[in-house]
Amino acid sequence: MTLQNSFSRRRFLGQSTLVGAGAAASVMSLDILKSEAFSKQLKQKGKRVLLLWLAGGVSQLETFDPKPGRLTGGPFQAIQTAVPGVEISELMPKMATRLKHTAIIRSLNTKIGDHGGGARLMHLGRRDEPNLSYPDMGSVMARELGRPDSKVPDYVTFYTATEGRGNAVGQAGFLGSRYAPMFLTTGNKPQNLERLESISDLDHRERADLRRVLSARFTQGRVSPALGSHNVAYGRVRGLMSSEALFDITREPKSIQDKYGPSLFAQQTLVARRLIEAGTPFVKVSRAWWDSHGQNFETHLEMVTELDHVMSTLLDDLQERGLLEDTLVITLSEFGRTPTINGSLGRDHFARAWSATLSGCGIRGGTVFGSTDEDGQHVKDGEVGAAELFATIYAAVGIDPQHEYYVGSRPVPLVDSGTEVISEVLA
Amino acid sequence: MAEIGPKFFKEVKQISRGDILLRISHQASMQSVYVGSSDAKIYSVDPLADKPEFHEFQGHTSYVMGLVDTGKHLVSGSYDRSLIWWDKESREIVRRVEDAHDRWIRNMFLSPDGQTVLSVGDDMVCKLWDAESGELVRELVSHQKITPNHFPNMLYATAVSPDGKLIATVDRIAKIKIWDFKTGEEVTEFEAPKCYTWDPQKRIHSIGGIRSVCFSPDSKSVAVGGIGPIGNIDHLESPGRVEIFNVASGEKTHEFEGDKKIIGLVEQIVFHPSGKWLMAVGGKETGWVQFLDLEKKEVIRQIDAPMHVHQVAVTDDFSTVYGAGHGKLIVWSLVQ
Amino acid sequence: MRLSQSIILLALGFVPLSMVQGETLIQDVVDSMLDAKMQQVNITAAPMADDYNILRRTTLDLIGRIPTSAEVDRYVTSEDSNKREQMVDQLLQSPAYQKHLAYDLNLLLAPAGNNELQNFLEQAVTQRRGWDQMFRAMLLGDYEDELERQAMKFVKLRVKDLDNLTNATSSLFFGVNISCAKCHDHPLVIEWTQAHFYGMKSFFNRSFENGDFVGERDYGALQYQTTDGKQLDAQMMFLSGKVIEEPQWTSPDAEKQKAEKKQLEQLAKDKQPVPVPQYSRRAQLLDIALNGDDRSYFSKSIVNRIWYRTFGYGLVMPLDQMHPSNPASHPKLLDFLAQDMSDHGYDLTRLIRGLVLTQAYARSSRYDGENRPPQLWFAVANVKPLTPQQYAAALLFGARNPSQFASEDVLKTQAEIESVHAQARTLAVKFDVPSDEFQVSVDEALLFSNDAALEKDLLANRADRLIGELMILSTDAEVVATASKSIMNRPVTKQEQRVMMKYLKHRQDRREAAVIQLVWALLTSSEVRFNY
Repeated sequence: MTLQNSFSRRRFLGQSTLVGAGAAASVMSLDILKSEAFSKQLKQKGKRVLLLWLAGGVSQLETFDPKPGRLTGGPFQAIQTAVPGVEISELMPKMATRLKHTAIIRSLNTKIGDHGGGARLMHLGRRDEPNLSYPDMGSVMARELGRPDSKVPDYVTFYTATEGRGNAVGQAGFLGSRYAPMFLTTGNKPQNLERLESISDLDHRERADLRRVLSARFTQGRVSPALGSHNVAYGRVRGLMSSEALFDITREPKSIQDKYGPSLFAQQTLVARRLIEAGTPFVKVSRAWWDSHGQNFETHLEMVTELDHVMSTLLDDLQERGLLEDTLVITLSEFGRTPTINGSLGRDHFARAWSATLSGCGIRGGTVFGSTDEDGQHVKDGEVGAAELFATIYAAVGIDPQHEYYVGSRPVPLVDSGTEVISEVLA
Repeated sequence: MAEIGPKFFKEVKQISRGDILLRISHQASMQSVYVGSSDAKIYSVDPLADKPEFHEFQGHTSYVMGLVDTGKHLVSGSYDRSLIWWDKESREIVRRVEDAHDRWIRNMFLSPDGQTVLSVGDDMVCKLWDAESGELVRELVSHQKITPNHFPNMLYATAVSPDGKLIATVDRIAKIKIWDFKTGEEVTEFEAPKCYTWDPQKRIHSIGGIRSVCFSPDSKSVAVGGIGPIGNIDHLESPGRVEIFNVASGEKTHEFEGDKKIIGLVEQIVFHPSGKWLMAVGGKETGWVQFLDLEKKEVIRQIDAPMHVHQVAVTDDFSTVYGAGHGKLIVWSLVQ
Repeated sequence: MRLSQSIILLALGFVPLSMVQGETLIQDVVDSMLDAKMQQVNITAAPMADDYNILRRTTLDLIGRIPTSAEVDRYVTSEDSNKREQMVDQLLQSPAYQKHLAYDLNLLLAPAGNNELQNFLEQAVTQRRGWDQMFRAMLLGDYEDELERQAMKFVKLRVKDLDNLTNATSSLFFGVNISCAKCHDHPLVIEWTQAHFYGMKSFFNRSFENGDFVGERDYGALQYQTTDGKQLDAQMMFLSGKVIEEPQWTSPDAEKQKAEKKQLEQLAKDKQPVPVPQYSRRAQLLDIALNGDDRSYFSKSIVNRIWYRTFGYGLVMPLDQMHPSNPASHPKLLDFLAQDMSDHGYDLTRLIRGLVLTQAYARSSRYDGENRPPQLWFAVANVKPLTPQQYAAALLFGARNPSQFASEDVLKTQAEIESVHAQARTLAVKFDVPSDEFQVSVDEALLFSNDAALEKDLLANRADRLIGELMILSTDAEVVATASKSIMNRPVTKQEQRVMMKYLKHRQDRREAAVIQLVWALLTSSEVRFNY
């Protein structure tokens, strides 16, 4: 079990930022009218997010921002998509026919070109601050879109490859461990969801009851949010154990299993869809490792082909189930790859001009936002950073990006203040 | 007469360019060579001229990955899936076969009698074309389209034996197939599994594959080249690798693993006509040339190249080697 | 009562600190000042915790584990009126104290998940180096000295990101988080402007990483852009606004820079440190931070952090917002302790000892009255989640056969304790490091509920484990009492006894399973998860 050792920390000589009882208090921005706030809450209801985390840095040139005919473009051609005038790499023929659900953002300039720093930025949507542990996107979604008493997990992460796993931040930060991910590192099923054979179901349940009684005595006359969360966590165990079947894809009809196919990424994406369908608000399926310093084109031939298949199968499946309208599917990396091709026919780290996609919920499909110059070396139009992307993602699922948490007396907006959403890609 | 041999190998000239030169073919009767580029063009050039001029052949839309000179025509193949027959003088297109392969064309070869052009592509088919008419003569189909780990396979290279009887094809998952040239039947299959690294745990993808294949002058053996097992498959950080098989028995007779100077892919293998030694070229960020003694089974010489070498063209007497590679065209001499 | 008249006057604010004569005891000053404040705001403090509770709390806080049953017996049966002080001093002298403090300090100072400062900190605590000396070593350590080389990791691990290094230094050592001031003047604190942020950053702008070392140039300036687009030159400026004048310097020409680059490459290759510059900006920061009036930032910050570690709540909250518009709950007490720190060589142990010997520290965390006093009056003890290391130790000690730690042979017992304590490091990786807003994750609850390895470790029926001992006891009452004492370090209450005995009785047909389940329920109870 990898209990994700949360990077939130510093209790001891602590870096306190929170006053009083309760985890970070949450308030809507004061300038929002009550009725509007209410309608926004309604809007959030039932929304889900599925992040395809392309760890190591997928090449924008071999996916969503091809540069055919340029020396930087590589050997693969661009193909026409279902959206007139929009071309993507020929490695994505399936997505090309489904692009009406997807918005491409081609103008990310995120500045951080190392895996660790880039991955943190693209998980948190902002730079680290030494004294405030920010929640990652998943924890925010778990909190904003989840239900407190949910019997399904509200934040699940798959990351089976070992490379770069430590960079794939799963931290609830100041939101508290209640919103930390269930972090799956081996296979498709979470560990510890299944009762050990050494104990009967009855004893398992009654043992937990005994624990509850003993702990209840202790909590009398004592107040602490952490203490409360301890018993809440144990209270969720039995419910979560009953969700074990969600992680079992053999319960899907064979036709669906066949559609997704046999690769690990595909199977985990199918589990993700099962979770989304059952009400889990945020699932991250990590596909590692894209870091093609050598043989970029062979690596991308393999992995983009898989991505194309998995992503298009997922969008089809969500649509057929009527879930796409309420499910936002994101593809994101820590950065893109250099337009310049190195001697090993590889591409290196590149955070200056790269792409991400948003599909489904709240998204104006078929749009392309921003552009890069003819060689892909610089952003030409619509430069945006992590903050704008995150603001847009939150807005797409009905969360006000200016929503503020109170950490102590300090208001902390969901994204850095002054950030504008990319309204062009929102429905 | 001046002696010729690996010990005299030296650089004569190099020409720097902004593109990647992937393929090269030498015109036996002339000073010039043809090179295929990442800019989708082919160029003819006399590299030894005082001011070498590159003359364009324009017609492909992606990397040029095959280039053979049939005498009458120059024939090229590309990632754009097409084959083009060119008039060498006018540099005009004589014939274009669109969608010659369903997927990207990886390499080409000309049969020793000059009658047949062979092409291989990621549709995993080796196609035989009439060099003159451009008609499709035969398709060799049996390489797996999908790797055991459910990813697309790639068919990297092909060669015909000097006696014209056999064809060899090599793929990503390090399978070597031998075919009867006349009938098109699959004769036998070998494997060089060390040339393919599948990383199931750290990075969950693959690297390697057999990138080069060449028959021995007596047609009895086939040599293949690639890269050895790689720890970090995002880099070409493993020794280049040459293995030689006896075609009749299937026995692996030679196995050369590069040392720390020979890191990266073996992109091409050329036997000396004597059959006593061979030359292997390749690289990673930069490249190298390696001469291997087949009798003593040892390295004769290895020399750094200023760039990753993708292909070489060798004069018949082995006096001159033209190298195409990353950002450079280079001329080496083996003459004393 | 030791309380002198001057302390009372001090507490009430009638006399300034400087007029208090003679040696005062930290604990007396703290209690008198806290009590005075409680009287002022009309608050009734919680009663004193009992001996069991005090022993558990102090042992966990000072050496990072729970007491053994034998230690519990010894403490509660002792009739020595001075036993608490003796117990504290004994714990403070143990090597486990140094390890535990170093572990906590490393969690504070090293980037998350990194323990590269821990050995330095442990040695420094053992040698009783002052906090100022530790700070000096971490900021401007001498690479000739092996320990200081380790200390320099503080800078080394952050120097690639100077904003981070600046803010980490400022908030961890001076209690001032100025990151908001980077892009604009601080929204909450008018005192902090962009000039402050870039002023503080200027102390670091010449520092860089070279191979395994941190080097510093003797040239280079920092510029920044104001919110209205003006380009300004930053000056070295401390948080107080004090500006450092520096001698004239010039940038080397291209040729010299090239030579410098070459030299640096060679040094990195040879694994040699970069020669220190004649004029070091980092040394200027040390100079201003540790001298004169500006020293109070440094002194107050460490006092507030140690206070927080001890009481679970700071005199100033948040800990990194120590600015005039966010005053301390007990400003004079903070002044006194800061002064005491700097008067006594920034001796952390002196402060820690003083704080754990207060009456305030010994209060119960339970408050049954209606109006529970807010945390800032320190009238009720706080419930603190255990660190991974503490929790692992609590579980391992609780699940051991208590008789293992009760040998007549003191050395043997000591060795046994050390061995079990060392094992906690392995188990600790399974738990989250608690942040201020810590919440227990459901992963942790699932781990305890269904993990085979954990079950095998903690719930084995073996002679050296608690279960092994319980299985040979003849009555259920003994089982319940022995288990409770080992795990919760106290006698069982009547109600608890009734519940647990009922549980065992219902499972007479599967007694071993029942005992294991009982121990599980105790080990996973909230009481064990927290220091209360």
